[in-house]
Amino acid sequence: MSTGDDIMTATPKLSRTNRTRLILMAAGLVVGGVLGAVIARVEHLDALVQSLAWSDHLAAFLAFCFLSLALIMTIASFSPKLAARMVDPEATGPAKPAQASFLRIQAAVLALAGVMMAVPVIAFVAYRGQTPVVMGSVAMMGIVAALLAQTAGNLALWRQSDELLRKSMAETGSICFWILQGLLFLWAAAEKLSLVPALSSWDMMTLLMAFYLVVSSLVAMRRGLA
Amino acid sequence: MKNRLKVLRAERDWSQADLADRLEVSRQTINAIETGKYDPSLPLAFKIGRLFGQPIETIFDDETA
Repeated sequence: MSTGDDIMTATPKLSRTNRTRLILMAAGLVVGGVLGAVIARVEHLDALVQSLAWSDHLAAFLAFCFLSLALIMTIASFSPKLAARMVDPEATGPAKPAQASFLRIQAAVLALAGVMMAVPVIAFVAYRGQTPVVMGSVAMMGIVAALLAQTAGNLALWRQSDELLRKSMAETGSICFWILQGLLFLWAAAEKLSLVPALSSWDMMTLLMAFYLVVSSLVAMRRGLA
Repeated sequence: MKNRLKVLRAERDWSQADLADRLEVSRQTINAIETGKYDPSLPLAFKIGRLFGQPIETIFDDETA
């Protein structure tokens, strides 16, 4: 039986979803802090990082996020219990083989996205902005192959998704298109009028990816998927 | 759109996961429908109606109508 004191001293319990979010936030803080400390201590690396454009920083950050998430998902996919929680934080039983497979495809798609975003920046840094044609061509062929594999992975995810997930993906694509095409028009017009600096295709791509990431998270939260 | 999915599910003592398995969708989809965060497609609404042996209009209620 509960007493008045029990009620006064009881602390609200965190849901499993919120506990997971807190753990992931804490892990992100630790990893980010360690990486930041390493970059700050290595003088050469620090100077190199400082010389990069803002879009390279953003691309590197996104690539790191994608690759980290892909690693976590891959590890989780081999544990039925962890995989089930990753697919559905409220899950009580172990993941079905199809769910684990879905998680692995998601991880592969994210890993490929991370690699594709990281390679141009790494090549730019490695060759100080003067990537030789041969190396650039090899890297580009690899990126095209990765994009084809990622497209196949995305199609497989679409086919295996249920209607809520498909609706969320389509909604994310629509929102991104309508907002970004408007913003792109405004920027292009302002650029033509010499009011703002020119954006490179790399700048626009990284902005698109970052925007897509934010919108997909918001759509998932609105639909109760996150 | 309001719906009686939660009530119908409770009457049969099914969890969200049980219903999701029967309808071949994810548990999150059932949760999103029950909480009004998502309106199911017509094929899924028909499937729900068939599963509970009731017409769609007795399960889903368009508030604006």
